[in-house]
Amino acid sequence: MKKHWHWRHLEETLARGLMLLSFAVVAVSLALILGTVMARGLPSLDWAMLTQSPKGGYYLGKEGGILNAILGSLYLAGGGTLLAFLFSLPLSLYLQTYVRRSSWGHFVRLGLDVLWGIPSIVYGAFGFMVMLAIGLRASLLGGVLVLALLEMPIMTRAMDEVLQMMPEELEQASLALGATRFETALRVVSRQMLPGILTAVLLAFGRGIGDAASVLFTAGYTDRLPTSLLRPAASLPLAVFFQLGTPYPEVQQRAYAAALILTVLVLIISLGSRWLAGRLGQFVVK
Amino acid sequence: MPHLSSPPSVLAARQRRERLTRRGLFFLTVFPPLLVVVMAAVLLGRAWPILGQNSLWALMSGRVWKPVAGQFGFLPFLSGTLWVTLAALVLAVPPSLLTAIYLAEYARPPTRAFMKPVLDLLAAIPSVVYGVWGVIAIVPWVQHTLAPFCRRAFGFLPLFRSENPTGFSIMAGAIVLAVMVAPFIIAVTYEVFRAVPEGMRQASLAVGATRWQTIRHVVLPKTLAGVLAGIVLGLSRALGETMAVLMVVGNVVQVPRSLFDAAYPLPALIANNYGEMMSIPLYDAALMTAALILLVIVLMFNVAATLVLRRMKARSQ
Amino acid sequence: MKSQYVGLALIALVVVLASACGQATPAIRPEDDLQGVISISGAFALYPMMQRWAEEFHKVHPGVEFDISAGGAGKGMTDALSGAVDIGMVSREVSDEEEAQGAYWVPVVIDAVFPTVSNKNPVLDDLLAKGISQDTFIKIFITGEVKTWGQVVGRPEITDEIHPFTRADACGAADVWAKYLGGKKQEDLLGIAVSGDPGLVDAVAKDPLGLGYNNLNYAYDAESGRPVAGVVVVPIDRNGNGVAEADELLETKSEAQEAVASGRYPSPPARPLNLVTKGKPQGLVQVFLEWILTDGQQFVGEAGYIPLSSEQLAEALRKVR
Repeated sequence: MKKHWHWRHLEETLARGLMLLSFAVVAVSLALILGTVMARGLPSLDWAMLTQSPKGGYYLGKEGGILNAILGSLYLAGGGTLLAFLFSLPLSLYLQTYVRRSSWGHFVRLGLDVLWGIPSIVYGAFGFMVMLAIGLRASLLGGVLVLALLEMPIMTRAMDEVLQMMPEELEQASLALGATRFETALRVVSRQMLPGILTAVLLAFGRGIGDAASVLFTAGYTDRLPTSLLRPAASLPLAVFFQLGTPYPEVQQRAYAAALILTVLVLIISLGSRWLAGRLGQFVVK
Repeated sequence: MPHLSSPPSVLAARQRRERLTRRGLFFLTVFPPLLVVVMAAVLLGRAWPILGQNSLWALMSGRVWKPVAGQFGFLPFLSGTLWVTLAALVLAVPPSLLTAIYLAEYARPPTRAFMKPVLDLLAAIPSVVYGVWGVIAIVPWVQHTLAPFCRRAFGFLPLFRSENPTGFSIMAGAIVLAVMVAPFIIAVTYEVFRAVPEGMRQASLAVGATRWQTIRHVVLPKTLAGVLAGIVLGLSRALGETMAVLMVVGNVVQVPRSLFDAAYPLPALIANNYGEMMSIPLYDAALMTAALILLVIVLMFNVAATLVLRRMKARSQ
Repeated sequence: MKSQYVGLALIALVVVLASACGQATPAIRPEDDLQGVISISGAFALYPMMQRWAEEFHKVHPGVEFDISAGGAGKGMTDALSGAVDIGMVSREVSDEEEAQGAYWVPVVIDAVFPTVSNKNPVLDDLLAKGISQDTFIKIFITGEVKTWGQVVGRPEITDEIHPFTRADACGAADVWAKYLGGKKQEDLLGIAVSGDPGLVDAVAKDPLGLGYNNLNYAYDAESGRPVAGVVVVPIDRNGNGVAEADELLETKSEAQEAVASGRYPSPPARPLNLVTKGKPQGLVQVFLEWILTDGQQFVGEAGYIPLSSEQLAEALRKVR
């Protein structure tokens, strides 16, 4: 006997409807955000913005561009991500290889989660205090160090989650062949999970390049292109922040263009590394 | 790959290298908890002028915030943080879960391939951009559309009724935060759902359950721990977010009573006033206290979540 | 393979570090034809002016470069006192505690804060005719006794609420506005707090019932000289007679500048903006400050500020030399 209109089917349809709705909301939000930024930012965007540093009077509406902030952000986030990576990869490999389920491993992971949740302004404040203590002025180096601190928990935890999905058979095969645990980690696990590791790095990079609160006190700001580690460096989030704060509407419009540049930059790097991950995926055993 | 048969000396060397590496790398693992402790200690040291003088209870429950006059009541900021974060989670979690389920269980591969970069992008948009978007789009919308609607439809509940005439409110902050946090929750829970073996689903479908029933009764219980982890992740991100919320939340020092009231979360307090620290000595201590409180909240929350997760994993075994 | 990449990365890092370390230039070298870098941070209120001064000074002394960052008056003070920058831009008075920590300040321009309302305010005509007195402002922003626009203009039948706006970030503008309202502090101001001067202008422009306050440069449009679109500057009824005299109504930027320079506009909320150094300025910084107080003053008007009076200038120069 078959009922035509069972409540289960109703439930199913309802669930599907809700899901599609949620999905639509998420997709629409992205479109809205990008759309708003583009609508406000595109009109002010021109080639000069991308290729020149601010000439005098830029903040009063005259010529120049924000090349200083573009390069500054790339150096800051690039340096910070690199430093964090040098720390995170060994750390997450260690966590995965030796202390996967031990209480020390849990403790360390707890520490990482807590670090992840601390607001970036606290990192900025902490970094500022440390920099004062060691006599470092606001500089590219300071910004890189603080960003590395900020990004490290994100990168490590994300890598950790990714590495946990490593197929056990591969690991065991390697161990069975006589490799030591760390050799396995280094040569088999990291290669297999390379796409995932890349995702983790990207996640951290995105956080680092977009953060204003932590660089405000540590990297300073300047109108010149970054040439020295010990001099302040401009950054795109701060460029947006400062330009929004001037009384000249044209300059405020440029802030939106700067925000657009930042978003596009992140988009390019994100897509670029997805492609790279695809290429590196040839090392992955399916 | 290492050789199948290495002479004993090479083997010994590799094993020694292994031991050394292991010992050397151990120090790396000390760093994260150490950093937490160091940060807490530094913050505590800077906060001591206030903490040493006033009882913790007085600080936490005080409603008046006038640092120049020496009054440091943190209650408005604590409740502000609580309101915004909870509201953001309530707004973010159901759609995120549903989206993740949809992507994991129902969507066709092209859709999935499309959504992954979309989510990455959403997660990577810098918070300044979210803040700008919030001020341009969300605040006016709350002011002109959402608030009046809620007042008419649900005005009998004090939750939806407010004297705040502008869109700068908890609701605006919660919406912006929800959009920021959703991609994380979706991404994590998506992976969790995908990790469930196909066999279980097939078995359930084979006995005649609908897909949704399968999800509800078979997949979800298995993934509950992971789902919770995803929510915790989102919460951490929400607690840590400073700039975007600051721009839309109103920054009024009051204990909020409605979703449409303005509020002043703890990170905003620190960000707005950090520069003042040297001028008024106790102000510096107060801001460091705020930072310390945030650290403790994050810590307590993570500990609680870990304990819950562990119990869930134990039970499901 | 992996370790090779790691090794390369390490080498790259070391190379970058090594090359970069060698390029830091010392801040002061008074013997040469003025070379060096001056780092400045602080109030948004001074930011455009400082940019202009830096540009002009660089023209005269091409060997001198500037790193200028905004971030608020409080940050400027903090950075100056901690030695993180050479000069801090502080758009408010320097307090005793700050002086005790070594803050040495000189005023360099005058700026003022003006009360603003939306151009769609329901009682706009009354406001422009009568003005708002200091006492009423106190009752709106400090005590909260005056809650409706009707109370402000003496027409009790109008019950539209007043929506006061203030600044969220710690800033000189809020500080001086609060000072005007009975010697209070920023924390005593009531109202929805918005970030940044432009944010406040925006909030008032969008809310017909809004009431805010803005620095000269932000209240008036730079090109047209009229108040920013959507906003009207409310006259302050100084003598409290319920009538806005002709000279109390400030319809253009130059009128406002003139009112402040002549002393007709109350001070506070007009106030000198200061540059702060840790201890008496030396070397390159001292030369720059001297220049600001002499040649630099010619750019003040066009940048949209009010120059110091000659006595104030003389006093400031004495402090610098």
